[in-house]
Amino acid sequence: MFLRILTKSFSNRKSRVAIAVIAVLMGASIAGGLLTVTHGIEEKLGAEFRRFGSNIVVTPRSDTIEVGLPGISFGSVAEQRYISENDLSKIKMINNWNANVLGYAPFLYQVVEAKHVDNYQRVVLAGTYFDREIPEVPWGDRVWSTGIRRTAPYWQIDGEWIEDGDSEGTIAGVSVAEKLDLKPGDYIEVTYQNPVSGATATAHLRVVGIVTTGGLEDSQLFVSLPVAQKISDRPNKVHSVQVSGLCISCPAELIAQEIELKLPYVQAKSVKQLVTAEAQIMGQLGQLMVLIAIAVLGASGLCVMMTTTTTVVERRKEIGLMKSIGADNRKIASIFVVESIIVGIIGGVLGYLLGNLIARYIGVSVFGTSLSPVVSVLPVTLGVSLFVTILASVLPVRNATRIEPAVVLRGE
Amino acid sequence: MNSSLQVVLKSVTKYYDARTRALNDVSLCISEGEWLSIIGPSGSGKTTLLNLICGLDNPTSGSIRICGTDLTSLDQKLLTKFRRENIGLIFQQYHLVPYLSALENVMIAQYFNKAVDEGTATKALEHVGLEHRLEHRPSQLSGGEQQRVCIARALINEPKMIVADEPTGNLDAANGAIVMNILGKLHSEGRTLILVTHNMAIANQGERIVKVVDGRIVADSHTEPEGRNLLEMKIPVVTQQDGQ
Repeated sequence: MFLRILTKSFSNRKSRVAIAVIAVLMGASIAGGLLTVTHGIEEKLGAEFRRFGSNIVVTPRSDTIEVGLPGISFGSVAEQRYISENDLSKIKMINNWNANVLGYAPFLYQVVEAKHVDNYQRVVLAGTYFDREIPEVPWGDRVWSTGIRRTAPYWQIDGEWIEDGDSEGTIAGVSVAEKLDLKPGDYIEVTYQNPVSGATATAHLRVVGIVTTGGLEDSQLFVSLPVAQKISDRPNKVHSVQVSGLCISCPAELIAQEIELKLPYVQAKSVKQLVTAEAQIMGQLGQLMVLIAIAVLGASGLCVMMTTTTTVVERRKEIGLMKSIGADNRKIASIFVVESIIVGIIGGVLGYLLGNLIARYIGVSVFGTSLSPVVSVLPVTLGVSLFVTILASVLPVRNATRIEPAVVLRGE
Repeated sequence: MNSSLQVVLKSVTKYYDARTRALNDVSLCISEGEWLSIIGPSGSGKTTLLNLICGLDNPTSGSIRICGTDLTSLDQKLLTKFRRENIGLIFQQYHLVPYLSALENVMIAQYFNKAVDEGTATKALEHVGLEHRLEHRPSQLSGGEQQRVCIARALINEPKMIVADEPTGNLDAANGAIVMNILGKLHSEGRTLILVTHNMAIANQGERIVKVVDGRIVADSHTEPEGRNLLEMKIPVVTQQDGQ
């Protein structure tokens, strides 16, 4: 009988129910849409942040030795140590957060003398990966690859990138290129002198590109890691590794800790400043979305409350009649509460669907990216819609239960 | 007529506000199985008296005992329970739920009281001659048919007492006669019937008539030496619903 009352009451008041559903739908769609946008943009933004560089630096642990005279410290020196190139793939194979390691780039540095025509310049020569395939990393049926093209996609290259198998290609920093008057296609000669043995090694390199970063890279030369290792005779060695970690659901510190666990002889440090800024911007974005959603849901709630109140006023005689023939307050309230729940469910589901369209539009028009529907947003949208509709029906339902049958039945 | 008392009102007074006194020190006893007609001019307090008897309203002072229960001691929840178990209400305006069928309008009273039984509800409508109108909505029924649905709804929970407020007030003579015929049958089956009316012909179908004027019972055929002389009381003929 309860179902009959509900269905017939609904079909008898189609326009009122439609208004209530539309009110909930509007609120739910905005809330659901913003939630989808927040979720999607956080991921995209995280990846965008990664474009500005790595956020974890891995270096070998080294013992420091205090130097000075008795009572006077001159500071400390550290014994030079290296990270084994063979161990690098373990960075991608940490236990818990391996999926969040987007890439890494090792670096081996040496100071060389670079010569182009009559120009000489002492510069730092850095060997690294550009887009090196790492077959040790399990990656389905594909081969995972990493290098500076993944960890520092913000590099602006005039010319081309170096292929990892290229044993003579070099990318020159823009400052080095200016001083040596280099342009893509030029050849330079680099000479490395071992500071301990005094032995020298020379290589002829072809400039394939000029890099501009606005940082230290502008004053360096870059070659494939094996080239740098060969010049300085340090096979299988790197000085440091820059790691790019996706840090939406985990702090970068956790990835750093896992790397240290995997490679006990290294220390991994997160770039705090970048991570904090990232979290702050995402937090502010989330807060803004929540505030907008609350405002819209509040308006929806008020609309639902007004509609329900109007319905209660319109149905005063019906409520009075039901009470006069024996309906207690619980049964009267249950009719309106269940009606609100149904409105909330319909509005919530439709709002979720409309919210996906809104999110897609915002994603394309504001952030320039296509956002996919997020299934986990559905229960949240549904829950929020139900909360709003039930909350909005509290006052009207209370008014309904306070109707005095004798008063309304005599027409007052 | 069974002589045991079913309704006992003692010095009942009802104020709606400080200046509006609807009933003034009314005392009344009604026996089980009795048919009492309440007459009086508009605004005299008839409907207020009826509302107090069926627990739809509370008196300002005095006591009301129905079927052994002191209504003034009950809260709203218990009053509602008492009403659905003991009293069948018939209204002048029928007060049917507009979006439910005749059958559902009867079943709704079952739903509020106990388990719904469509067969019993159908029989109740058959009892008032509406077996061919089960699925019709109130708007598809005549006034007389709506009132019969209202009677079937009042009977469905087998109440001890039927309380009717101007049951023929909105009906033509033919439909009024049908309704009164049904009420007469219910009374003959042993139910107590309390009926408010302006119509003396209808009032006279009852066993007892009381007249209410200005919130007081001014005459009672049960206690008047002239007995049925109440027939001669001057009652204004009002065809509209009592202002109460």
